Amino acid sequence: MWIPVHIDENRPEPLYHQIESQLRGLILSGQLAEGTLLPSIREFAASLKCSVITVRRVYQDLENEGLLRTRQGTGTFVTRVDPDQRQEHRFERVVEAFEKAVETGLQLQCTPQEMESILREVIDRQMLQREEEPR
Amino acid sequence: MDWIGESKPAAAMSLKGVSVRRQAFTLGPLHLEIPTGLVTAVVGANGSGKSTLFRLLMGMEPCDEGQIEVLGERLGPETDIGVKRRIGYLAELPHAYENSLTAEEKARFASKWYPGWDWDRYRKLLRSFDAESGAKLRKLSKGMRRKVELACVLAHNPELLLLDEPSSGLDPFAWQTMLTELRRYMEQGDRTIVIASHITDEVKRLADYILFLHRGRPLGFYEKDALFDSWRTIVLSAQEDKEAELRLQRVPGIQGWSKSAPGIYQLETDRPDEAEAYCHSQGWKSLSKRRMELEEILGCLIRGEEARR
Repeated sequence: MWIPVHIDENRPEPLYHQIESQLRGLILSGQLAEGTLLPSIREFAASLKCSVITVRRVYQDLENEGLLRTRQGTGTFVTRVDPDQRQEHRFERVVEAFEKAVETGLQLQCTPQEMESILREVIDRQMLQREEEPR
Repeated sequence: MDWIGESKPAAAMSLKGVSVRRQAFTLGPLHLEIPTGLVTAVVGANGSGKSTLFRLLMGMEPCDEGQIEVLGERLGPETDIGVKRRIGYLAELPHAYENSLTAEEKARFASKWYPGWDWDRYRKLLRSFDAESGAKLRKLSKGMRRKVELACVLAHNPELLLLDEPSSGLDPFAWQTMLTELRRYMEQGDRTIVIASHITDEVKRLADYILFLHRGRPLGFYEKDALFDSWRTIVLSAQEDKEAELRLQRVPGIQGWSKSAPGIYQLETDRPDEAEAYCHSQGWKSLSKRRMELEEILGCLIRGEEARR
């Protein structure tokens, strides 16, 4: 099975962190359903061009968080996600996306007022687009 | 089978203070523990000692100092050759004494020697590599002969694979097949590969650990991802004077630096966060920071080693 995790070589975070947060996101958002069998550690490592040590660590961490479970001889599965946890994660993802946007804004010397007005414009435009879309 | 957990598996091989001295070449001293269940890539330029290391591990080259243990057996002049039957060794160059054999004859010979030999697996491997088995080996192209050798080395499912530049001569399709077969072999969980390679992509796709060699000297043994996570190239602009260049050499984790334009310096570090903080404290502006490629890291390590000579 192919898991849509993408390593961004330019991000400063270590590989395991990137893989872990994306995989956690896929599970909490429900894109990887309960009971999904994940690829073997070796297979996943090869597709990400990272070492099995990294993938093992990611599986281990997510297992400790209760998101994955490993059954001897069969493999590693996605477990049931608590709805509260999913809700919390929804905001986490959005906050993360805004953090990146603000980072870019500051790099390009935008003032807070400029960024706020850009945000409002973007919201208005996208809401309008959604309304216009045929259902 | 996958194993999860922090417990470190036993070493498939251990080298303690191992040196080989020949007239024009010295290898070592090597202190190494090659971990079981993982892939270790040996990376170095031609003449760095990769092939000597492999022959040493196969007991084909006596060591002048130190101790080697392979799969729990101590190597020495009186070592039982039994341990060699548990290893799949692919030499850098084909053996001349096999020239007049066909693939089938070579396989028949190997089947008598290796207790784990499996004809079924051998035929499947030949098919997946799309290799010929009727012609004499010397009549085969370099790549075709390599495919036959790879099938033979995998067919007895050894506990340890020693592969000396296995992909030389292979076309891109056979190369992909090789990666898939090696991955499948590793899925068993308790197998170990040591592979010599100078193909960056091969190392990135296969390796868990990397050993760098240069002119017979070890330049470091790293966990692959930790290595790529920590090494960075930073480009910065600084006031250009003698004093700045002196301070540049005190950057934390500095592995090398050069001037790329007036007032623009490029530096390599394996402690990038501290290095950046130091640069800011000096009033220098960091213009970019990026990960390094395998050959860039090797280049840096070699320059460092040459400077110490």
